[in-house]
Order: sequence, then C-alpha cells, then structure tokens
Amino acid sequence: MDFALTPEQELLRDTARALLARECPTSLLRAHMDDPSVARPLWEHLREFCALGTGSAVDLCLFVEETGYVAAPGPFFATVALFAPLLDAIGSDLLEKVLAGEVTGTVAVAGPDGVWRANGDPAKTFVPEVARVEHVAVVDAGPVVTIVDTPPARLIETIDTTRRLFDVDTSSLRASPATPVDEGALTRVLERATVALAAEQVGTCRRLFDMSLAYAKERVQFDRPIGSFQAVQHKLADMALDLERAWAAVYYAAMTLDADDRERHRATHAAKATAGVAVRRIGKDSVQIHGGIGYTWEHDLHLFVRRAFASEAWLGNADWHHDRLAELIT
Amino acid sequence: MHLAWGPEEEAFRAELVAFLDEHLPPEAHRFHDFAAAEDEAGDVIPQWARDWQATLFDHGWMVPGYPPELGGRNATPVQTLVYLEEMASRGIPRAVHFPGYAIVGPSLLEFGNDAQKQLVPAAIRGDTVWCIGMSEPNAGSDLAGLQTRAELDGDRFVVNGQKVWTSYAMHAQKCFCYVRTDPDAPKHKGISVLIIDMDTPGIDIRPLRHINGLAGFAEVFFTDVVVPRENLVGTLNDGWRITQGSLAHERGGLWVEGVARLEQGVRALVDLAHRVGVADDPTVRRRIAESYSKAASLRALGYKGFTSFAQGSSAPEHSYMKMATSEASKAVFELGMEIQGAYGPVVDPERGQEDGRWARGFMTSFAGTIAGGSAEIQRNIIAQRILGLPRG
Repeated sequence: MDFALTPEQELLRDTARALLARECPTSLLRAHMDDPSVARPLWEHLREFCALGTGSAVDLCLFVEETGYVAAPGPFFATVALFAPLLDAIGSDLLEKVLAGEVTGTVAVAGPDGVWRANGDPAKTFVPEVARVEHVAVVDAGPVVTIVDTPPARLIETIDTTRRLFDVDTSSLRASPATPVDEGALTRVLERATVALAAEQVGTCRRLFDMSLAYAKERVQFDRPIGSFQAVQHKLADMALDLERAWAAVYYAAMTLDADDRERHRATHAAKATAGVAVRRIGKDSVQIHGGIGYTWEHDLHLFVRRAFASEAWLGNADWHHDRLAELIT
Repeated sequence: MHLAWGPEEEAFRAELVAFLDEHLPPEAHRFHDFAAAEDEAGDVIPQWARDWQATLFDHGWMVPGYPPELGGRNATPVQTLVYLEEMASRGIPRAVHFPGYAIVGPSLLEFGNDAQKQLVPAAIRGDTVWCIGMSEPNAGSDLAGLQTRAELDGDRFVVNGQKVWTSYAMHAQKCFCYVRTDPDAPKHKGISVLIIDMDTPGIDIRPLRHINGLAGFAEVFFTDVVVPRENLVGTLNDGWRITQGSLAHERGGLWVEGVARLEQGVRALVDLAHRVGVADDPTVRRRIAESYSKAASLRALGYKGFTSFAQGSSAPEHSYMKMATSEASKAVFELGMEIQGAYGPVVDPERGQEDGRWARGFMTSFAGTIAGGSAEIQRNIIAQRILGLPRG
C-alpha cells in the first residue's frame, strides 16, 4: 500500500491550499452568517474544480480536505461530492454541465430520522445548500431519483453556520418522472460522499490542531509557554495521533473506492468513524488549550469547532458508522 | 496512491511462502492464536525456536535486508515490508528472543570494532543469546541516570552495580551493558557500553516473575566484575549514542507485527462474543467495531509512515505507532474480559470456556505501554521532537 502523492496530486493540493487561504478568510465565514450570498465569489473560483465530481476519490479528498481546513461555505461539496456522482450513476445529461462548473446541485436522501438511506418519506432532511443551488436530486424508495428545481425548503439551524442544511418537502413532486438507480451504484455515490466528508473533517481538524499548537507555543503563563507543560503536551500528542490516523483511514478508504476493492464498505465506515473520533477529541481539546480566549465569539476557533461537530453528525456520526461496521464484521 | 504491491514484490512474497511451506515447524503455528504469545513465558527459548531461527538465517530469511552472511538476501525496503507483513499475518515469529538480532547485531555493525563485528552473525542466528543491561532500579524512563559503575583500571574495567527488568538474563551468554564510566560528567556524557560475558565471576542473576506470574526477566547484580578493555563498544564515555540501536532498515515496518496482533485480537473478540452469546448486544457490537476501526486506521497510518520511510524522509508516524498499538492491545484484552462478565477474570481451567487466555493476556499487555519507552515518554517525544513544543 503506497500513500505517496503523484506530482499532479501535490500540485492539486497546493493549488487548493493557496486558493482557499486567499479566497476564504474567516472574515468571509463571519459575513456568511448574515448573508450566504457572500460565498458567491468563492464559488466562482471553486467551480473550476468541478471535474473532481467524477474520477479519482483520492483527488476529490485532497481537494475537500483543504475546503474543510477553511470551512468553506457554498455549494461546492453538495455539487461535487453528492450531485455529480449521483447524476453519473443515473446517466444524466446534466452531468457534463456540472463537471464543467456551469450548474450546481444537491442531493436529498435522508428522511426524518436523518439517516442517508433511500426511503419513501416525502419529508427529506439535512439536504445541503438547497438555497444556493439550481437543482435538487431527490432519492426515493426504489431507489429512484427525481431532479427538481427549487422545492419548498426550510433552513435547519445548527451550531454550524458555514454549511447550511435544509428540510425539503417533496410531497408535491410525486408526479415528476423518476429515474431508477441501481442500488449498488447508489451505495457507491453515498460511500464516495461519506469518505469525502471524512476528508473534509480531517481538514477542519487539522485547522483546529494547527491553531492549538501555535497557541500553545506562544501563550505564556507562569513565565513559560503553556506548551512546555506536560499536561498540554500530552493533549497535543493525542490530538496529533487522532489526526494522523484519521488522515490515513480516509485516504486508505479513498484508495479502496478507486480500486473498487472489496474492503471498500468497511473502509468507508472506518474512515468516517475515525474522522468522527478525531473531531470529538480535537474539537473539544482545541477549545480547552485556548482557555478563556477560545470561549469568546471574537476568536475564530469556534467557527471550526462548529463546522467539525456538524460534519461529525452529518452522513452518519461515528457511532452510526461503527454500528454499520459491526454488521459487516460480526 | 495505490493499494496493491507490484509484481516484483509479489514474486518476493511467493518465494517466502514457498520457503515457509517447506520449512515452517509446526510449533510456530501456535502463534496463529493471538493470545498464545501472551501466554508464553517470554524468556524461555525452546529448541524448535532455536532451530527455526537458524533455518531462517541459513536461507537468508532472518533479516532479509542484510547480505547472506548476516542472514539476509539484500532485500529492498519494500521487500522487507512484504516479508514482515507475510510473517505477521500468519502469526509466525522470527525468533522468541529479540535482543541479539534486533539490537546487538545492528549496534555492533555500526559501532563495534572488527573483532566485535565477528560476534554479529551468531547474534542474529541466535547461536549466542544476548541480554541488554539497560534499566536499573533508579534508571527506568530516565535511562541516562544509570549508576552501574565501570572503573577503568589499566587494560580492564571493574564493574559494580545492578540492572533490573533484564529480559533473557538467565539464558544469555552475553550482556550488552550500559555502564557509567565518568561519574563527574553530565549524565548523558559519562556512559559507555561493555560486552560482558555472563559467566564472569561476580555476576549474580536473580529471576524476577512478571505481573502475569510467569518467569520472566531478572535482576542482575555486578560485584567487582572484571571486563577486558577490548570489550568496550565504540568510544569511552560516548555510549549514549548507542541507545538508539535497532534494525534501521526495518524501522519502516516495526509496527507490522503489533498491528497484525491487534487485528487478530479484534477477530478473536468477534468469535468470543458469539461463543458467549452476546454478539447481538448493541453495546458489545459497537465496542468491537471501535476496536476494529482503531486497528484499521493504525494499519493505514503504518503504511503511510512506511511510504515516507521508503522515500528517505523521517517518518514521524512510527513514534505514534508503538504508543497507539500497545494501548489498543490492552483495550482489546480488557474488552475480552468484560464480554465474559463475571467470568472475565477466571483462569480456572475447569470453569470458564476461555481457559483464562483473555485475563492472562490482559495482565501481560501491561508491558506494552511500559517497556521500551513508556506511553508517557512516547508522548513527550511526539510533543517535543515532532510537534516542536518546548521542553518542560
């Protein structure tokens, strides 16, 4: 098993990193709280990378790890990690335009229980960025896919303001023509999105970790940097380990998806669960290491703490994925 | 990034498999059971294991990265990883005592003089059993605080002091011994390494039972033990550098065996849950799955570290691996006991169906987070050397 990046992959990652550092500062995240349309200029840059919607899962993960690092708002993840692969699975004509960055979309699967599994309930939940996309692909029991424009939707307020999730009422869409989708193909779409979200979480965790490590080196108490205290050092060592193992689990899973390896189901659940475990530790301990300043609204830390925990809960939290994993190993 | 090894590596694996099919002794199969090795009285070296180690050496499969005269076949780093993978996944031990081939051999090759280098083949083949005289009652994690004194007197050293937790001391012919040769220098700068024959007058070995009740390591007392000056390894008072000795070219794969053992443990937990009748318990299921994803993520992290290692960069991942696998192993045995409820701690062969293997394994597993650098020391190393935090 070889984790070495190709020169092209390194270039992709470095390009994403530089672009997002420039175009997605925390001031944008704060402005986005009151006015989601401020993310539009960011989308103008990100749309050039929509070809990642199909093809290598590793490449997709490398890119969304960086969007996670800046907690990027807007329709990129919904369009590239969910909508495009689903269009691909049903052979939709729309796919070409999506990959060209000309069209945005999102996907609705979960019913009221919040679980991303095909179901016949017309009340869909936790649908990302409905208000900022042109199309919604609704997955219903069958499974079948219906593509609709601007269905009735309601924002679900969460602790996170950087990714907007919606309730979507699809009861009026029953008459629309539905395209059947192969069950295995739908699983592939959801697994790809799940691993991509785990990669995003790794990016967000890395941001929290970087901020905490830098703070531990500069914050002086008792006449020395707090990072010289063993209690703080051991916290950071544990955070670093959780981050490293989550990274490795995510890219291993992405490799199994790309190779269509039989380990891919287990690897997907393990990746999202391991990323979730990392969020739970790093999300909490990053605030703890920052102490009082970390508890303030002015400090940027909470923007990433919020995104991290909201991502942990979305597309199945660590417990849910461990329970699915249990079905596969026992 | 890709999952599979290339055809050359797989050909190498096939060669190994063919060798194993022909030569593997039946006793080595016992290690298929992940708990079996934990049950072993670690320091006892049975005859089959001696023969097996010699067979591996003679066929160039003991340390594949070494040349044939040192029990290898000049294998590349990736081939060495394939070797470690295959041996670990089959639960096959190379040897049941590690100091000779893993520490003394490489250290003498790097720091020893020509005469000392002559000792290396026998150390790797297992013909000579070595122990390592490092820890002392007052020098555990703070190893550089060791006080065993060696006074240079003409062409000989006179050694006085005590070592403890010395594995294989009762069976060893030689000791690779860390001694203080300059008591006035700063503590890292007054240490030297001596090769001490264990039958030298003045050495008293007292076996020390392990926490699991089995015979294990020993205390070694030195009273006016005379050691020829030519047994000094490297330069006088410069022995601290030699503490890091290990198989450098295998460093990229040192995690493989621990992770494989952990994975075997998780599979054993699944079987146990079925036998005990709690395989449908949601809590048990989730906790086993948590162990599984821990092991799986550690395997991935190990490979990530190997990738950096093979590219020649430093691989910080390996500092994480020992700490994480040893803590996870302890948790697997603990969960195995918990799954058995009231029968968890039972070792009575007439009661309980598990023959006490989980409970005994649990007791043994405490060693993993203490020996060879405690988990706390590992965290200090990660914090200071990898994360760049200031020393406290």
